[in-house]
Amino acid sequence: MSKDHSPDQFLPENEGGQSHSDARRTFLKQSSILTALALTPTAAIKAAELKFEEKVAAVFEKVNITLDINGKKQKLAVEPRTTLLDLLREQLNLTGTKKGCDYGQCGACTVHVDGQRVLSCLTLAAMADGKDITTIEGLANGDKLHPMQEAFIKHDGFQCGYCTPGQIMSAVACIREGHADSDEEIREYMSGNLCRCGAYPNIVNAIKEVKNGGHKV
Amino acid sequence: MIPFQYVKPSKQKAAIDTVAKDDTAMFIAGGTNLVDLMKRGIMNPEKLVDINKLPLRKIEKEDGHVRIGALALNGAVAEDKLILEKHPLLSQALNAGASAQLRNMATVGGNIMQRTRCNYFYDTNLPCNKREPGSGCGALQGFNRMHAIFGHSDKCIAVNPSDMNVALVALDAVVLVSGPKGDRRIPFAEFHRLPGDTPQIHTNLQKGELITAVDIPEHPYTKHVNYLKVRDRTSYAFALVSVAAALDLDGSNIKSARLAMGGVAHKPWRLQEAEQFLAGKPATEASFRQAAEIAMRGAKAFEHNQFKLKLGPNTIVQALKNAAAAV
Amino acid sequence: MRQQPCNPSHFMKEYFFQDNMGKPMDRVDGRLKVTGGAKYSAEFELPNMSHGVLVGSTITKGRIKSIDTKAAERAPGVLAVLHYQNSPKVPGYVQAAHPTEPKPIGQQHRVFYDEQVYFNDQPIAIVVADTLERARYAARLVKAQYEEEKHATSFPKHQGKAFLPTAAQRNPKHGLNDYVRGKADAYKGENLKIESEYVIPSEMHNPMELQSIIAHWEAPDRLTVYDKTQAVIGSQNAFAREWKIPVENVKVIATFVGGAFGNGLHTWPHETAAIIAAKKVNRPVKLMLTREQMFTMVGYRPFAWQKVGMSATPDGKITAITHEAIGQTSSYEEFTESTLQQTRMMYTSPNVTTRYRILPLDVSTPIWMRGPGEATGAFALESAMDEMAHVLKMDPLEFRLKNHTDRDPERNLPWSTKFLKEAMLMGAEKIGWNKRQLQPGSLRNGDWLVGYGMGVGTFGAHRNRASAKATMFADGRVVIQSATTDIGPGTGTVMVQIAADALGISPDKIIFELGNSLFPPAPSQGGSATVASVGSAVRDACIALKKKLASLTTGNADSGFRNAKYEDLTFQNGQISLTSSPGTKLSYTDVLKQQKLPEIEVTEESRPSNEERQKYSMYSFSVHFAEVQVHQLTGQVKVTKVVTCADAGKIVNKKTAGNQMIGGAVGGIGMALTEGAVIDDRFGRYVTKDFAEYHIPVHADTPDIDVVFVDKPDFINNAMGTKGIGEIAIIGVAPAITNAIFNATGKRINELPVTPDKLI
Repeated sequence: MSKDHSPDQFLPENEGGQSHSDARRTFLKQSSILTALALTPTAAIKAAELKFEEKVAAVFEKVNITLDINGKKQKLAVEPRTTLLDLLREQLNLTGTKKGCDYGQCGACTVHVDGQRVLSCLTLAAMADGKDITTIEGLANGDKLHPMQEAFIKHDGFQCGYCTPGQIMSAVACIREGHADSDEEIREYMSGNLCRCGAYPNIVNAIKEVKNGGHKV
Repeated sequence: MIPFQYVKPSKQKAAIDTVAKDDTAMFIAGGTNLVDLMKRGIMNPEKLVDINKLPLRKIEKEDGHVRIGALALNGAVAEDKLILEKHPLLSQALNAGASAQLRNMATVGGNIMQRTRCNYFYDTNLPCNKREPGSGCGALQGFNRMHAIFGHSDKCIAVNPSDMNVALVALDAVVLVSGPKGDRRIPFAEFHRLPGDTPQIHTNLQKGELITAVDIPEHPYTKHVNYLKVRDRTSYAFALVSVAAALDLDGSNIKSARLAMGGVAHKPWRLQEAEQFLAGKPATEASFRQAAEIAMRGAKAFEHNQFKLKLGPNTIVQALKNAAAAV
Repeated sequence: MRQQPCNPSHFMKEYFFQDNMGKPMDRVDGRLKVTGGAKYSAEFELPNMSHGVLVGSTITKGRIKSIDTKAAERAPGVLAVLHYQNSPKVPGYVQAAHPTEPKPIGQQHRVFYDEQVYFNDQPIAIVVADTLERARYAARLVKAQYEEEKHATSFPKHQGKAFLPTAAQRNPKHGLNDYVRGKADAYKGENLKIESEYVIPSEMHNPMELQSIIAHWEAPDRLTVYDKTQAVIGSQNAFAREWKIPVENVKVIATFVGGAFGNGLHTWPHETAAIIAAKKVNRPVKLMLTREQMFTMVGYRPFAWQKVGMSATPDGKITAITHEAIGQTSSYEEFTESTLQQTRMMYTSPNVTTRYRILPLDVSTPIWMRGPGEATGAFALESAMDEMAHVLKMDPLEFRLKNHTDRDPERNLPWSTKFLKEAMLMGAEKIGWNKRQLQPGSLRNGDWLVGYGMGVGTFGAHRNRASAKATMFADGRVVIQSATTDIGPGTGTVMVQIAADALGISPDKIIFELGNSLFPPAPSQGGSATVASVGSAVRDACIALKKKLASLTTGNADSGFRNAKYEDLTFQNGQISLTSSPGTKLSYTDVLKQQKLPEIEVTEESRPSNEERQKYSMYSFSVHFAEVQVHQLTGQVKVTKVVTCADAGKIVNKKTAGNQMIGGAVGGIGMALTEGAVIDDRFGRYVTKDFAEYHIPVHADTPDIDVVFVDKPDFINNAMGTKGIGEIAIIGVAPAITNAIFNATGKRINELPVTPDKLI
């Protein structure tokens, strides 16, 4: 039963640099059975259901993408239905980005894509192809914490810590966007990040300190 | 999610043709609504056509209107200088919706297309004529606190959840669409449908048609505007009732008004009779109250949303007060 | 191991140097939490991991006629689809038709045990696949046919069927029995009285972290789980019982817990489902509930109806209180809580009657949610206090002060400590209580009506048996381990502070490890008892470590300490010195080096003194003040200021304790204004089951919150002088807000949450 399911496992001749259609051609060359089938995912699933080579179906379902994650370029093959959040957590072991609802209703999965804060749970990884992703793991400069991380520690802007990466990614963006000019504005523009422990006032204080400290964020 | 195929064409025609030809294909832009619905098995496209390569992102002043590309992000539109100057009501409405993160993802076209948040639509194990025609309306005799008081049918009492749409219908926006049979312009008020007997069809868009832009014609409502959203918490919640109010004032008299409501109908609900009433009246609470009463004519509520019959007019009055007082 | 009863004089000696206790130290795990380095239960990487997804029932009551798993089994990547027909049997499940049959008090739902359905979304199958996407997809392909029975999920409709909990029926001395002090229902014959009913809907804990587990059978009789739990030892015992394997063969790890608020105090069907699946596929199985499943599978604060009758003399002395409550439970477990406790002991009333009942419905079992029953009860009692004060035309603060009691009227015992009066006065000043007008609707700010309200809370200052192991290494580092957990209060941080002072060393030399069942046993993190229980064990372990150091030193002829007694020594700055001759000193590290010891190690168990607990009544107290604004036309409520005050003994860390108080206030805002889960009774199914429909407060709902600590130690409770905080932080907040709404508007809304529609 042991299987290594690294993203490239089904692409033996593919160094990851191939386009989706290249991969498809590679696989078609290898598979005489599937060439007879209509080239739809449904067909591929049926192939699996009919106990054809499952790996064949798997390769068929994947698309190749390139993501720059925390400054590191990564070539990956992903199923189109894989979200950026699940890619980070389940395949790349970047578990700092949290799943709190999976429906875009809590902000725990907030990351920066091309510098903008977005929700990774509603972002299909395939749609992030070619983009720069920054997660909580990429915010610090080596051992030196980002000023927002320092401020969260100082002001105790968390309790359980689960919403914290999302709060911090959102807080950094909140300042960059220019939405941290008053307590009221911070509260409104941070309302997409739920904290069930209720550390909100401390988070607001942390953001104010970074904003007023004139730190580059 | 079911497995699906993903394509990202760079040409508009290719995108449209793909969706037009394939019953199981859908466009995807920001994904904030569609990906959610796919995760829950409510929508199950077998092919997604990602339109993000198409050049539909610009916000531009053109002759007689401002044109907003369908792929312009909600957050970008809300903060755009041109929009803030010419259409502050739209900016307010956008900022009242969702969260900063979602506004950074959601597009104008996608926001127009967003589906209802009806509790029964969202649970594939409960009846919903909109999701599964013929299965019944779960909300009619069920939990209908968030539901419609205008324009509903015995097949569906869901509401359109968008804030942006309320402002756009008030501002007489026009939706530009491109399809396999060519381009057309749809007045915003005619874009969304009432449920009638076919609540599964929520807009008048045809198969394969793609929203490419929204035009907002020039108007005098650049100062005395207010988008007021009453909800169960202060932010990041759908409206119980929302009101887009815009006044063109001559001193303390109303030259003309625009008024629309959200959270009350299957489509953004324009209140033209109330607008007509307000024209020429003094901008006083008494006028606003009378307009609100006119606006509520024909409203019919259900077991849990009776409060909207009172919250609706109250919110209209307050939004008009806010608009009149805006500086 | 030895017993270490608390002893004030003992405290004074050991805590002469309090360099760290009380300081607002930054969290020791802060860096891990802000960098994404903290690993929660679903975040451990194991080779060969598989993913489990649960399938829930779509009916509420009845039986499964058939279950079609063919499509799911054929779907790509699927390793197993398990349900009652093919699931490996859990050997510890009691063999009886209905789970309540063997024990009338009920037992946990037995997952995949038989074809019976007891509640909607009950897990009926688990799909295991090699990737999460594939497992999720295949789970949607499982279809069951049912034979449906009529269900009962509506509380109001079935309210008449409520009964006295079986535990109380069996034992007349059980605390859940009816309570009468003085004359029963004496308020009824009085002139000045109020009588009101109160309803609290089911509320969901909804911690941000979804309930998760990784189950891994390392051998056929050896289980390791990475689990979201507030009790690693409790879960360890539960799984060992279920699988009939030795307790030591079960390892439970909960290094970080992403909030829980009570729903990690029980083991749940999803945990056993993952363990079953891991057994079947012989691979580690990771299972994370969906947000919807958090509404049906891991408990909730039960729907509750309450009624309070109260009477008073014209000058404001309470003459009688009657408080009745009915709480919801499931058909298979009798869940109960202490809803009426505060009414029995908070005020001087000579006549008090309480009656507690439970109502089983076809729903899943509730579980204590922050402040648990006490928060439910305080909503009714503290609202009634406000109503009574209004009838008396009296300031509610004055009314409470007038009925303040310096002895526990229920047990007729002195309090160990009680500084509630002080807390009330401090809080009143801070919120500006003098601005409050007696007549509702008197204050306004433009279109907004302004009001002030208060509410009092209390919770038993519990302490339980706990143990800790302390190891000092030759380089001066100290590692302390205890099988407690930290769901967010900052347990690790305060334990380091306690240890630093107890040992006389710098906190940065101390590492506190928790969340692992291999560590010395500690109770669950619940009931606001962790610092009193585990802190005492940590302190005792540190004292034992010092005694060990002393014995190594005084036994050494060359050390200069020869024949000195432990009592003659001072332990400070990492050094032992002779108190009488401070120049005679030796560092701890030198002690170990001289003895050529790489490390010294002690394990201590610490227990509360039952004797003290018979002599004193021990409670933490809180009082909360709220300022609100209510929009006249739209009914929108803005909480504009909260002052939350605690008499919680010695505060070990003002930063983390203050944060807990703030969090309780935010939880109370949710309870008062936004939270409530709705079941469509026709289907018995929740229709509000995500964060878009179930509203927990957001940033914009949260004002400035001032925290006030009386900060006076309670040495009777334990040698550190602490009492708990977590529960009292929320108990009494909701009524403070609804009382403020009444003061603003004259409208008394006794059915939570107070959403805008109720105020127009």
